[in-house]
Amino acid sequence: MTVILLVLVLILSVYALAARDLLHGIIALSAVSLLCALMFYLLHAPDVAITEAAVGAGITTVVFIGVIRNTERKDRG
Amino acid sequence: MSGMLFTSMQWFMVFCAVVCTVRLVLGPTAADRLVALNVMSGIVLAFLVLRGVQQGRHIYLDVALVYDIFGFLGFLAIARFLKDRLEHEEES
Repeated sequence: MTVILLVLVLILSVYALAARDLLHGIIALSAVSLLCALMFYLLHAPDVAITEAAVGAGITTVVFIGVIRNTERKDRG
Repeated sequence: MSGMLFTSMQWFMVFCAVVCTVRLVLGPTAADRLVALNVMSGIVLAFLVLRGVQQGRHIYLDVALVYDIFGFLGFLAIARFLKDRLEHEEES
């Protein structure tokens, strides 16, 4: 179970790096943080999982959405 | 018996998360990806509660509670961004 979830984290991380549309990258990053919280939970660290769920899934998504709302959505590179 | 049921349900939820990941990576539009993320959040939430019931410890349920509250904020932000962009496209 742990191995499958780690493979999912790897796939989503690579996609978040490679996505041309920044909104898609943010959604993939939110999924990575969700699966990371699940990994911490499965490894018997529920306090770390609470922090990861609050900071990773909530705060960073809102902050990144605010950033691309004030700048451009597409990646130029 | 109940241990086998818990284990098989957890494996089934991991399988559902894999299917949602496929849609999240391939999905043509941003709305598809948002719905896939939302469904995956629901699956992981059920997984957390199931595991908490199996282990029988209260702190495990707190993780599910905190993720439900803060995950909703993130989805709300993404959905508002999509709505603003659609209105902007209709005006122009």
